[in-house]
Amino acid sequence: MASQKSAAISTKRGSFHFDAKWIFIIAIIAFLLVFQVLPLIYLLVRSFFPEGHFSLEAFARIYSYALNWTALKNTIITGGAAMIFGVLIAFPLAWLVGRTNMYGKNFFRTLFVMTYMVPPYVGAMAWLRLLNPNAGILNKFLMDLFHLAEAPFNIYTLGGLTWVLTSFYYPYAFITISRAMEKMDPSLEEAARISGASPLRTLFTVTLPLMMPSIVAAALLVFVAAISCYGIPSIVGAPGQIHTVTTRIIDYVYIGNQEGITDSTVLAVFLMALALIVLYVSNIPLKRQYITVSGKSTRPNIVDLGKWRWVATLGVTLFAIVVVVIPFATVFATSFTMNMGKPLTLDNMTFKYWNTIFSRKAIISSTQNSITAAFLAATFGLLVSCVMAYLLKRTNVKGRHIPDFLITVGSGTPSVVIALALIMTMSGKFGINIYNTMAIMVIAYMIKYMLMGMRSVVSAFSQISPSLEEAAQISGSGWVRRFKDIIIPLILPSIVAGWFLIFMPCFYELTMSTLLYSADTKTLGVELYTYQTYHSQQTASALASAILIVVMTMNILLNKLTKGKFSI
Amino acid sequence: MSVISISHITKSFGDVQVLKDFNEVFQDGEFITLLGPSGCGKTTMLRILAGFERPTSGELSIDGVVVNSDTVFIPPEKREIGMVFQSYAVWPHMTVFDNVAYPLKIKKVPKDVIKKKVMDILEVVHLSQYADRLPSQLSGGQQQRVALGRALVAEPKLLLLDEPLSNLDAKLRENMRYEIKDIQKKLGITVVYVTHDQIEAMTMSDRVFVINRGVVQQVGSPEDIYKRPANQFVADFVGKLNFLKGKVENGRIQLKGLSQSLPYTGPLTGDVMVCIRPENIHITPKEISVLSGTLSHIYYLGNENDCRVQLGDDIFIRMSTYPDLHDLKLGQELFMELSDFLVYPDDGEAHTKILT
Repeated sequence: MASQKSAAISTKRGSFHFDAKWIFIIAIIAFLLVFQVLPLIYLLVRSFFPEGHFSLEAFARIYSYALNWTALKNTIITGGAAMIFGVLIAFPLAWLVGRTNMYGKNFFRTLFVMTYMVPPYVGAMAWLRLLNPNAGILNKFLMDLFHLAEAPFNIYTLGGLTWVLTSFYYPYAFITISRAMEKMDPSLEEAARISGASPLRTLFTVTLPLMMPSIVAAALLVFVAAISCYGIPSIVGAPGQIHTVTTRIIDYVYIGNQEGITDSTVLAVFLMALALIVLYVSNIPLKRQYITVSGKSTRPNIVDLGKWRWVATLGVTLFAIVVVVIPFATVFATSFTMNMGKPLTLDNMTFKYWNTIFSRKAIISSTQNSITAAFLAATFGLLVSCVMAYLLKRTNVKGRHIPDFLITVGSGTPSVVIALALIMTMSGKFGINIYNTMAIMVIAYMIKYMLMGMRSVVSAFSQISPSLEEAAQISGSGWVRRFKDIIIPLILPSIVAGWFLIFMPCFYELTMSTLLYSADTKTLGVELYTYQTYHSQQTASALASAILIVVMTMNILLNKLTKGKFSI
Repeated sequence: MSVISISHITKSFGDVQVLKDFNEVFQDGEFITLLGPSGCGKTTMLRILAGFERPTSGELSIDGVVVNSDTVFIPPEKREIGMVFQSYAVWPHMTVFDNVAYPLKIKKVPKDVIKKKVMDILEVVHLSQYADRLPSQLSGGQQQRVALGRALVAEPKLLLLDEPLSNLDAKLRENMRYEIKDIQKKLGITVVYVTHDQIEAMTMSDRVFVINRGVVQQVGSPEDIYKRPANQFVADFVGKLNFLKGKVENGRIQLKGLSQSLPYTGPLTGDVMVCIRPENIHITPKEISVLSGTLSHIYYLGNENDCRVQLGDDIFIRMSTYPDLHDLKLGQELFMELSDFLVYPDDGEAHTKILT
């Protein structure tokens, strides 16, 4: 730390002491200013000054249009409902899995956490096939079973949209709440038990109030994810004429003229404001968060469910079957189905769609594009993350919180807003024209997903005692050398994990790619979406299954590589 | 106020047996300390008493009521026990008053009675003026007293304390030792206290259980375990100790590696281990001395000098002297007598080193 001290002293004296760390900070800030702050501000300005002068005309036009109003309403209703149901599902699940003697806890934990890494559009595809009012497999099954005249469920409704959003975003809440529960000092609960409180009373008077900040954070996380989602409403909503803000934005952009762009910015501003307000609000309870981490780690207090043990296990199993097994199995089965109107029998089975995805040139080149873009985003993103983590945890250089703040904001900004803002600013208007290149996609991916890598590296950093590094410093190594010799080897597992955390969502990304791709840079997500919507659901299902297999394999690999310390 | 009977309690976590056949009766109003190094099983025993762990086998009863056996298990909330946790476990979302009132609320005690009882107990733990504070506004020592108040407020039959002082600074720790002992005497409750600190064990306990590797090594009053330790482990764990190897020959113990010997009339024969406490070594004139050596180090501790005396090649002993009594110089030859020492059979295992 000697170099910062000398930096501080020399500033006091008024002489300029050059600190090499500043180069990195300035480079990162410059990158974020150009590719994140400028586009977002321009988007905001452009929505109020559509033709160079202030005008609310665009707002008036957009928000007086009934379709847009409905889209706004739909977005808030489905987002709010997904948030409430998501938490209502996630809290009991987290408690059962983390704090009771339910059977198969580890299996269920892995299962629920794993669905976090599944692209949401896979769920949409599955539920479309299951609950289509005309030919949904589950609908037909229920009609036959109970001799119903009409299909009991219709996926093309607000309820259907909420269901798919909830079933794919509750893992966000599950993970957040589970982590908070793991961190909680078990003696806080034991103190309640020894005071005479039953396990249930302990849950309501001690566990739940202490978890409240995490629950609020989890709820808001689900809300922002749900309102920013494009994959699910575009697949489930579009056929049912259910529009959301994200689908409307992309419809406007696809119009292709200046007015379309202006109109989309006006909607995007709404989405951005909503997301950022929520992000801000979710940080308020965090400040009040109780420190419930104790020095002594004891085994968590496991509640004996008694006669409810089997009931709980059965309930969670059923939930897992409905939310995880059935949708995945459906997508998998669809990829082998010749005629979608008939059930999957041996006669109706084919491998041709799997053949297609491994042989068709367009699909192969999209896969290559996706791998390249995700690889670049993950690698650059991680580089930034490592430097940022070092600056945050090991130095007190002025301004080190600025990039951290910007990266957090970037991650909280809806994908569609990021992509739109980049299109508007990076197509030559400000001297940079990377429109229709892979660069614009890599940048968009980085802005959206860099935070995941950074959090992983930062948390690893906080667990390494500064004295390890100070020992190297006293031995005479400079900070670059210390980074290479001490830090990197110690946090390597987290670096690997962080890389995968950025790579995976970029690999199957859909929303931003939809707006940013060109003929040469079509990605896997876009390819899959096109097949699902216009050509062949079976090919899309085969692609989705392949993506799922890749994601699962990576997850298992990651788990093995980091000796169980990390999986997603 | 209660009698606790522990019979044949064992506990294993997987393949690791952390408690081996614990048998004892804790009498009504007794202050019991479970003393041992970390990982010895003392906390596990305490958690079995509380009901947070279930023993692998054995039976436990409190006041004649079986709370734990192969067929019976009474959960912690039904045992009417008070407990103070190492991390205090004061609920951060409740005020001091609410924390302390919690056990009474569970018992559905009327509000006015709760208020009176809580204020009374806050008086006992010197926290009356902090009733409305949140725990985050309190110091570690104050939080610790909140935990103590909460454990006592429902007038439990039994109070369990799990290393309650280990997170406090030295001065506060000393004060709390006396306070806890005073409160226990005043209320007359049975206390089981877990610690690895021998001074806490010595100052507060009626009986001390010294535990190592899941086995009770010795049970006795503080004086018993200090003056008459049952084995080398107890002798070493409680207080400071010098170890010297020797062999019994013709009514004397011939010290190995030295041409010196000690008088011995005990029953042991063959190889033995001689244990000498530093305060039992005294400087004397050459004529009546039994040991001699060269003074190699002096550490001044204020009330005493902690000296190292070299008896032979690589054989040193530790000796306490009063700073004002002798004018000592490094390198001078010293003659010493022993006011007491212990002799154990030499099992050839640990504790063969001479300085600890």
